[in-house]
Amino acid sequence: MSYALNEVEATAKRAARGAGYDWGLAEEAAKAARWLCAQGLDGAAVLAGVLDAGFAAGLPAHVPQDLQGDWLAQAPLCPLASGAALSDCAARLLQAPLKAGPVFRPAMILPFAAMAARQIGVCVTVEGEGFQAVTDGIGLRCEGALPDTAAQLTIRAAGSLASANPNCTRAEPEEAAWAVLNRFAHKTYAPATEESRRLGAGAGLSDND
Amino acid sequence: MSDIARRDPDRVMRLARLGSLHQSRLSFMRVLTRRMARENWSFARPKFDIDAKGVGVAVYTATGPARTYSLIAFAHDLPPEMRSDRVIATAWDATFTLFDGVPTDADIARLAKNVPYQEAGRVDEKSLSVSRANRSVRLWAHFVDALSQGRQPDPAQVEAVGYLMRTTAVYGSGKLGAADREAIADRPELSTPFQAEMLSVYLTRVFVRDLVEHMARAKGGDQAVPLAPGTARRLGIGNSTGLGMAPYIVNHPVLFNNWIMAREEAIARVRSVETATPEAADFFRRMLRRSELSAARWHSEHPVQLEKLAGLAKDLEALAAWVAADDLLGNRPWDRLIRWSEDALGLEGQELAASLILEPYAELVDGLSDCMADTNKDAFIIDGAMPVARVRELIMNSFGWALELDWSARENCARAWYVSEEKLEPRMGERFEEPIADYEQPLAPARDAAAAHAALAGWDADAPVAAFLLHHPEHRHTVRRAQMSQAAPYGEIRSNTISDRVLPIDMLRAKLSFFGATHFDPRSDRWVRICMYAGAPYPEDLTTANADLWVYPEADQ
Repeated sequence: MSYALNEVEATAKRAARGAGYDWGLAEEAAKAARWLCAQGLDGAAVLAGVLDAGFAAGLPAHVPQDLQGDWLAQAPLCPLASGAALSDCAARLLQAPLKAGPVFRPAMILPFAAMAARQIGVCVTVEGEGFQAVTDGIGLRCEGALPDTAAQLTIRAAGSLASANPNCTRAEPEEAAWAVLNRFAHKTYAPATEESRRLGAGAGLSDND
Repeated sequence: MSDIARRDPDRVMRLARLGSLHQSRLSFMRVLTRRMARENWSFARPKFDIDAKGVGVAVYTATGPARTYSLIAFAHDLPPEMRSDRVIATAWDATFTLFDGVPTDADIARLAKNVPYQEAGRVDEKSLSVSRANRSVRLWAHFVDALSQGRQPDPAQVEAVGYLMRTTAVYGSGKLGAADREAIADRPELSTPFQAEMLSVYLTRVFVRDLVEHMARAKGGDQAVPLAPGTARRLGIGNSTGLGMAPYIVNHPVLFNNWIMAREEAIARVRSVETATPEAADFFRRMLRRSELSAARWHSEHPVQLEKLAGLAKDLEALAAWVAADDLLGNRPWDRLIRWSEDALGLEGQELAASLILEPYAELVDGLSDCMADTNKDAFIIDGAMPVARVRELIMNSFGWALELDWSARENCARAWYVSEEKLEPRMGERFEEPIADYEQPLAPARDAAAAHAALAGWDADAPVAAFLLHHPEHRHTVRRAQMSQAAPYGEIRSNTISDRVLPIDMLRAKLSFFGATHFDPRSDRWVRICMYAGAPYPEDLTTANADLWVYPEADQ
């Protein structure tokens, strides 16, 4: 089924929150999923994979331990929290490339590389074994196949984008992944009670007159 | 002499004031009708297949310089017990979609299987909005009876209700599969916010007039008469708006800022006018008199609104007296008026005066409607290099008032906003009486700002905020909002949105006033009825002479 990108964003935000991420990261997860869909990639499927990994429950173990230097860790890095940190540290890419790894679902790093590119005004290249992706912030060119986990990524302020994919205005997520997002989103909904039905939306004077 | 500055956000962004805003030259309905008249849009009704029971489909088209938009209206025969304005309803008297272009029969057949079911159906990117409406039962029956018997409806009943149908939701921007705002935002005719939705309601009003005449003919045959044009003109489209709309202005701080800032800039420009012409002064006086008429037709049964209406009546008297005693010509007349109003009038009167002084100055004001969309998508991106001290300062600017509040006191956090499982719609509940705190939505920016400000206190003032956020992802959304406030000084509501005294209807009114709604009639502390397009010319009568000031009733109407 075809979905509006706003539907992807709204569902992704609720899903990330339902999976246990704080609201700020849920907002970023939503924009990231939307951005991937706008590139013609299945952002919903990428996000569903990330949420299923369950990093949110122990997030401190899955983020860079120190923003200085390279971000090399024992446990796989969560691409949402680490991606957000990458965007936050965009300026450092102008000084030197950043190595990070292992990174779970490196496709989810790409929207954050795009946010970094928009901030520093040059293309950002994300490279791992078997693939190379370049973004100018708006578009994306990706060569090779993105692995489920990248042992190490090299992220640098470099590259150019002549043949970016055209931005898509609709998303066609894989149904199973969409169902996963909805399953997580459901955890943010308060079960209905008689009281909430009666009061929550604000009953008052008659509405049928 | 220097220009008058815009009003301080600390003054403007209190909920009590936002809940007293009035429509203005910048209202989205007026922006639309001005444009359609200026560009000489043409209108047609290529289809009206509705039977004697009032069931069928109609299509209305609106054609501007570059494109045609079509309202597809599905009319239903709704049993009375199923009629509800609540968002939990599952059937309506009429359902609509605004179609991008002219629909084929195949398009209509596809939409007929979806639009009548609203949230339970799906549309695609050819739909720009999806909406529904219910009849005002009393007024509808009276109109059909009267017209079918060759009589015009009783003017007193028309005035008491104001509309034959009220919409209960107008969905846009990607909802239910419709086109995203981003897909149409670069079209000049839709660049001002909510133009597609406002066009849909404008055409809905035509459909409702045509339908009631059709039903009267079906009932009365040759005896039936058409609706007198003056009565038709008085009719607006009602709207019932519940809590679902309140979070919108919190969730879109840059967009909301742009609305408020456009109006504040307009007010500042007009206050800076050194000398008014006699024509401008006279124009203002006429609009003030017509506002008095509009206020006299504003009814509500809600105690809070009754008190506000009594206050507004007094304010209007005081304003009339002040205006009668002043020539409104020299020494920055509009600034003098606003300064006087700040001490002499209540919030309703102050904000009415602020909107009214804009009326004589189309050339200073109307262009600002081009600045009301949110085109700054990068405002979302956090600047991680910003020093901790600067983030604290930004929080202090917007939420200084909130830092001292005891946020653990029950009265200060009595409410929580949540989304219900049943209808996936925002609701507000009692934090200490219902099991909802675990499901709380981030709609208390002031509380969250106070928490982030305190957490930042332990950090090196010069450290980049990125390091703080790595360890405190729970404050990311607050840091983002704080940074947005640099470009959006009017983006934050400067009142407590979860206190035991919060009135969500204030948030609804702030938004609806920018649509151009009038006659706010709260039905509880969390839903409100309004009227849209009352007094507006119908498409066949729309000219540049009547496209703008229709919102102010004239004495002979």
